[in-house]
Amino acid sequence: MVLQPSERHYGDWNHRRLGPWCSPTGSPAPLSCETGCGEGSWILVCRLLVPTQVSLLSMEEDIDTRKINNSFLRDHSYATEADIISTVEFNHTGELLATGDKGGRVVIFQREQESKNQVHRRGEYNVYSTFQSHEPEFDYLKSLEIEEKINKIRWLPQQNAAYFLLSTNDKTVKLWKVSERDKRPEGYNLKDEEGRLRDPATITTLRVPVLRPMDLMVEATPRRVFANAHTYHINSISVNSDYETYMSADDLRINLWNFEITNQSFNIVDIKPANMEELTEVITAAEFHPHHCNTFVYSSSKGTIRLCDMRASALCDRHTKFFEEPEDPSNRSFFSEIISSISDVKFSHSGRYIMTRDYLTVKVWDLNMENRPIETYQVHDYLRSKLCSLYENDCIFDKFECVWNGSDSVIMTGSYNNFFRMFDRNTKRDVTLEASRENSKPRAILKPRKVCVGGKRRKDEISVDSLDFSKKILHTAWHPSENIIAVAATNNLYIFQDKVN
Amino acid sequence: MLGKGGKRKFDEHEDGLEGKIVSPSDGPSKVSYTLQRQTIFNISLMKLYNHRPLTEPSLQKTVLINNMLRRIQEELKQEGSLRPAFPASSPPADPLGSSYREAPPAFSHPAPAPCELGGAAPLEACLTPASLLEDDQDTFCTSPAAQPAAPARLAPPALPPEKDSFSSALDEIEELCPTSTSMEAAEATTDDPKGDSGGPGAQRPEGLQDGRPDDPKLMDSLPGNFEITTSTGFLTDLTLDDILFADIDTSMYDFDPCTSASGTSSKMSPVSADDLLKTLAPYSSQPVAPSQPFKMDLTELDHIMEVLVGS
Repeated sequence: MVLQPSERHYGDWNHRRLGPWCSPTGSPAPLSCETGCGEGSWILVCRLLVPTQVSLLSMEEDIDTRKINNSFLRDHSYATEADIISTVEFNHTGELLATGDKGGRVVIFQREQESKNQVHRRGEYNVYSTFQSHEPEFDYLKSLEIEEKINKIRWLPQQNAAYFLLSTNDKTVKLWKVSERDKRPEGYNLKDEEGRLRDPATITTLRVPVLRPMDLMVEATPRRVFANAHTYHINSISVNSDYETYMSADDLRINLWNFEITNQSFNIVDIKPANMEELTEVITAAEFHPHHCNTFVYSSSKGTIRLCDMRASALCDRHTKFFEEPEDPSNRSFFSEIISSISDVKFSHSGRYIMTRDYLTVKVWDLNMENRPIETYQVHDYLRSKLCSLYENDCIFDKFECVWNGSDSVIMTGSYNNFFRMFDRNTKRDVTLEASRENSKPRAILKPRKVCVGGKRRKDEISVDSLDFSKKILHTAWHPSENIIAVAATNNLYIFQDKVN
Repeated sequence: MLGKGGKRKFDEHEDGLEGKIVSPSDGPSKVSYTLQRQTIFNISLMKLYNHRPLTEPSLQKTVLINNMLRRIQEELKQEGSLRPAFPASSPPADPLGSSYREAPPAFSHPAPAPCELGGAAPLEACLTPASLLEDDQDTFCTSPAAQPAAPARLAPPALPPEKDSFSSALDEIEELCPTSTSMEAAEATTDDPKGDSGGPGAQRPEGLQDGRPDDPKLMDSLPGNFEITTSTGFLTDLTLDDILFADIDTSMYDFDPCTSASGTSSKMSPVSADDLLKTLAPYSSQPVAPSQPFKMDLTELDHIMEVLVGS
């Protein structure tokens, strides 16, 4: 079911004051950075740490995972490298939020159910399930390790009681089934309650096992493993709107899979040149159209986007549409190509637009216009003069993601110093917020941040030279229908919500 | 270079670094452009050869760095073909080295005794060239535009000797690749050590006159070298690189002061180790090796290379 933005039912939004970048109608409320106070602002709902040691702890002491999560909310910092969050994704209803980390683990959070007693607790997310999705592997032919880091997670729409998601590392995609178990059979004949076999001689009567309620257990099982189809590193996966197929894209090829078939995939895009020395461009991201199951786009390291129609031919090396903005000669530099490399491409929910993120900007393109984007937003243009340093320390290769809100009216992306930016496409206003422990108490309103470029630095502004480039927000997610966002900052997951009055 | 949340005063930063470096009052913008290009070229090479990751390096990153190197190389090629011939004292056999020698002529005027600067100042300048260069406006344009004069902040003489030995070492590594073009490179580089043996001081006057004339000739070999680099480097599935370079400890390419001083001798063939240690010495803040032992090692190097080439 596809709703046009105007048709969407926002439920009880009318009773709440909306943030300016989320209001569907009427004049926008003043931005909090202008008034300095909280009209239309974001509050921190909770900060979650990926529970590293959950499995160890629960072996030693019998602890409920929810308790663990709560205790982790206090100042534990198991900040190992394996905890760095590498992907964040809401499911289609927004009830579940999945994160993948560098250690190959997937942690799924579930939204707290609304209860009359604790209305304010709605919107908090608690750990629902944790499992090890990928393990590190070793490629013996090349003598190189294959990282277990989860590059992407994509949810399948829910079709029964269980949840399904795809998770991928550099080489292998896996389909996981996450299901709940809240009943267990009791009263076996041949086994006793602890599972030990009973001596048949002692059995005098027969009984029928009955299902009795038990503590909720969430189990994740790998249902499919799609391996050995990618020579290069997988950067994207995308579920098709037919819910039967999905694609996986690496640096040079895109493969189409059927969920039921793991030993075969179709290659639909191949840009590998015959002579590798001639290679100058790689695929950086790919996505299926949200409604048209034959259409997909992929972006390249040269700042171009190609839209392909699978009906045209089996191998979609020839694009149907080619999106490229001509270079601005006044901005040319040594780094023009590198900063034009697209790190993320996302279709709008409507399917009419695509959004691309390159190093310094976010651009919105209309599918009907190929020669230039319809909107360009500067994320952190003050870095333009720092490109050489950023090249030297590799920050220029950072891959920022970008997301649409549910109504396609606001776009969000991350930056450095734990800053993230939101742009309202209608009002053309933008805001910079920070996801950090020091600056946000639960339920406190986030204060907009400002970076000063030079000259006098006003109070509360931060100068470009003071930015911490090791604190980068690469992964963010926006709830599909509500104003709830998830922001991953290293090993912390921040959940912010539009303020409810 | 880039603060990690600590607040630095912009003024202090400027003063601190400028104090160590002799800067001309007026540097032509073309020069600073060349210097920037040179710096970026250097950084790019470092990136390609620097680390030996446990996992496969990112193909996107490698491709982008390669494109950068190719572009700079193209520019040099074009400039080489446009420039009129200069009198040349000795043919700078090393193609990569020639591009670096281009810089000294511009800087030699304001810096009368650059070799006296010693190890420390140019090292740190070399370690943070990018941030210094970035303080200039519009410095990184492909076409040098009229700009406010960017004071030359790097000690130029520090650059050529290191680059020469660096690039000659690079060529030696390329010789390990069994292709015919690499043989040409080997031939070319056998001349290089002799050219370098004059030491930093003597080299500069040569640099003044060397300049362009041999560039057209060298530019022909340059793409070849580069192609070898890329083909044996990172763009093949087979990563021949791993097989060929497995024994080479490339930590010497790591210009991090913490690791640069670490032993480089163990895995390296003696030829490259000595040479690269010389390259390394400036970066580890040790006093620059005197030219005499340098010369001796280079003749040894010469000899061994002849053996390798299969004379």
